[in-house]
Amino acid sequence: MNLSVLDGRDGRKIIGDLADYHLLIQEQPKAKNVAIYDTFDWRLFEKSLLLYGAENELILHSLSDYKIVRRTKVDSLPGFAWEFPDGDLKSLLAPILEMRRLLKLTEFRSLFTIYRILNKEQKTVVKLFYEEICRVAQEQTLCVHLHVEPVRGYPRYYRKTVDRLEKMGFVQINPKTMYFDVLKESDKTPGEYSSKLRLQLEPNMRSDEATKIILRSLLRTMKANENYIIEDLDTEFLHDFRVAIRRTRIVLGQIKRVFPADTTKKFQRDFAILGKLSNELRDLDVCLLKENPYKKMVPESLREEINPLFLFLNDKRSKVLEDFKNSLCSAEYSKAVRKWEDFLNEPLAESPTAPNATVPISELARKRIHKRYTEILKTGAQPSETANDHRLHALRIECKKLRYLMEFFFSLFPRRKISRLIKELKSLQDNLGDFNDLCIQRAYLRKTVDELPISGHQAKKTTLAIGSLIGRLEEQTQTAKGSFSEIFTRFASPTNRGLYHELFVATKGKASP
Amino acid sequence: MNILGIYSNKGGVGKTTAAVNLSFLAAEAGLKTLVCDLDPQSAASFYFRVKPKLKRNAMGFRKGGKNIARSIKGTDYENLDILPADFTHRNLASTFNKLKRRKRRLNRILDPLRPEYNLIVLDCPPSISLLAENIFNVADYLLVPVIPTTLSVRSHLQLLTFLKKKNYAKDNIFAFFSLVDRRKKMHKELMATISREFKGILHNSIPSLSNIERMGIEREPVQAFAPTSVAAKSYRKLWQEVDETLLD
Ligand SMILES: Nc1ncnc2c1ncn2[C@@H]1O[C@H](COP(=O)(O)OP(=O)(O)OP(=O)(O)O)[C@@H](O)[C@H]1O
Ligand SMILES: [Mg+2]
Repeated sequence: MNLSVLDGRDGRKIIGDLADYHLLIQEQPKAKNVAIYDTFDWRLFEKSLLLYGAENELILHSLSDYKIVRRTKVDSLPGFAWEFPDGDLKSLLAPILEMRRLLKLTEFRSLFTIYRILNKEQKTVVKLFYEEICRVAQEQTLCVHLHVEPVRGYPRYYRKTVDRLEKMGFVQINPKTMYFDVLKESDKTPGEYSSKLRLQLEPNMRSDEATKIILRSLLRTMKANENYIIEDLDTEFLHDFRVAIRRTRIVLGQIKRVFPADTTKKFQRDFAILGKLSNELRDLDVCLLKENPYKKMVPESLREEINPLFLFLNDKRSKVLEDFKNSLCSAEYSKAVRKWEDFLNEPLAESPTAPNATVPISELARKRIHKRYTEILKTGAQPSETANDHRLHALRIECKKLRYLMEFFFSLFPRRKISRLIKELKSLQDNLGDFNDLCIQRAYLRKTVDELPISGHQAKKTTLAIGSLIGRLEEQTQTAKGSFSEIFTRFASPTNRGLYHELFVATKGKASP
Repeated sequence: MNILGIYSNKGGVGKTTAAVNLSFLAAEAGLKTLVCDLDPQSAASFYFRVKPKLKRNAMGFRKGGKNIARSIKGTDYENLDILPADFTHRNLASTFNKLKRRKRRLNRILDPLRPEYNLIVLDCPPSISLLAENIFNVADYLLVPVIPTTLSVRSHLQLLTFLKKKNYAKDNIFAFFSLVDRRKKMHKELMATISREFKGILHNSIPSLSNIERMGIEREPVQAFAPTSVAAKSYRKLWQEVDETLLD
């Protein structure tokens, strides 16, 4: 049970008054600085978890009931999951955090007191954890939190204590509310950033307006990540930044004729250039994130020999990052972004010349999604002997376009049904994505072999190790290719087709009486 | 998940004090631990300040399942619960005697508790009875306190023979020396001989100490009221050895 005290009441005094009814023990209060951690995209909060560090301990709480889920002692604060000491906290956090770094969200001072209520045997029957939170180096209390914990087997003491506390001025609170309150002090709102699109469009909105809403939200994502890319905290800032650019390009290319043609063309050109700027950096990130799995793929006898590759890639990455940072800080970049922003903020023309500008967005959305879907069916349905690499690449790009379109327009369609279509599409995309990643990685490794600054005996061994890695990747490419046709058949199934038809073609007829 | 039976056919050898202190240390090390007070004398419950159930007439133990879970009490320490002794004049053995599959009753009772705990420590009464057989059947390991006197050693031998007859795996029986008086020459000599001749004798022993006796006044594990005492340290070492050599 989680309680807080009503304004103007003294929590400490109220708890002290419980001594009128029971034996009450107060343990020595402890003051400590506490910091709260999460990733930039709130991965812990999204899972209803709260990670805080106090002194040399990290404690993971559930945000729904404030119970402690895991705790561990640490010498220094781990930034990434792989830096945690081995144990059950690490194994729980690793799949949630993945490659993201923990950031310190806020720091405060906590005055923490444990009270215990004893029965006649002097046995503890209820525990009270009372915490006063204030800003670091300040007196005034920001909030008060009392966690009342029953002791197993003594439910009546617990119920009576909670009753009494509520009568004397405590009120029940949700631990989440408290979390929001504490973070508000540092101007943060849990969940405010997400790499997922969260757009709310109206079906009858003008298409140029809706398109600008989508584009503005993508620009916000770019800007949110920019500074962190420069700080190089983890690889996902760049990743999200790039996804926002890619999505922007697809909006410009796929939501056709909503802006004047030359405007669209100009910005398309800008974003194409911007996207290319970080291609190499991302390739390097992908390769380096795979260091461990890659090493495992190399036969044990050659495993050490591949180290020069990763040393080289790490080195190269610092240079490439420097270049990219310079471009982000350049006058050209800020000018391009400013122009883009100006365009997005311009008021809508009353009678625009672009033919689709005033078409209701739901109509345009349906048309575009349906077009992309039929396109994919055509490309994918060619006889499987021609399932050459080229075609699979083309298909992957088609799928990406369709996926983004469905996500942009998600709010315009029945939630359940469109979610199902996205899920079905996602499994196809995963397959094609694996295939594509593997091809790119192989090509990248092959290219890198020539650049490695080593020679002689070591060079031979390293080349051999990389060669065996490429071999393994080749095998995996074949596996991905092998499962394509089955996955595609499911995607092109009559039920799926029917659902696409229902959502994106037939709705008009249905809507009229 | 391990079930550790602290057992001896001999009384007053330090079973209960070991059960209380070892389970405290297990919980402190992060294992979700349950002490099961199987002794009608309810000494373990007493040390944790929990009253034994007097009225229920061993009903919980008879039926197992939900009834058992409802009888569990939280101790004053994190991760540590106790199942208090739960009998009147009748003892468990005679209760079991009337039931089907009487030699495996304790398995039925403890099985539903397995998912909740990492370690269950059984504090057993000194007997070779049906209850003892139930304990042998359910415990993954037996830990036997042995006082280094000729008499105690003889009864340990008796126990080993008995267990052999019951087909209890030898490898799962461990013993440690308890109530050791280092000043007594006889204690030292006996310990050396026994350690040589028997398998499964742990290196760490528990000396005879006034702080251990004081547990009866403090009603707490030694670790709680005298954490830096020799007594606390001895149990800590013993726990480390138990953790490393016995537990999975
Ligand atoms: N190492 C020790 N030093 C001093 N006193 C001890 C020690 N171990 C146990 N005692 C005391 O000896 C008595 C018996 O100990 P304990 O209750 O642990 O033995 P037990 O084997 O459980 O006995 P029972 O067979 O009666 O259940 C208790 O009064 C206890 O305080
Ligand atoms: Mg005893």
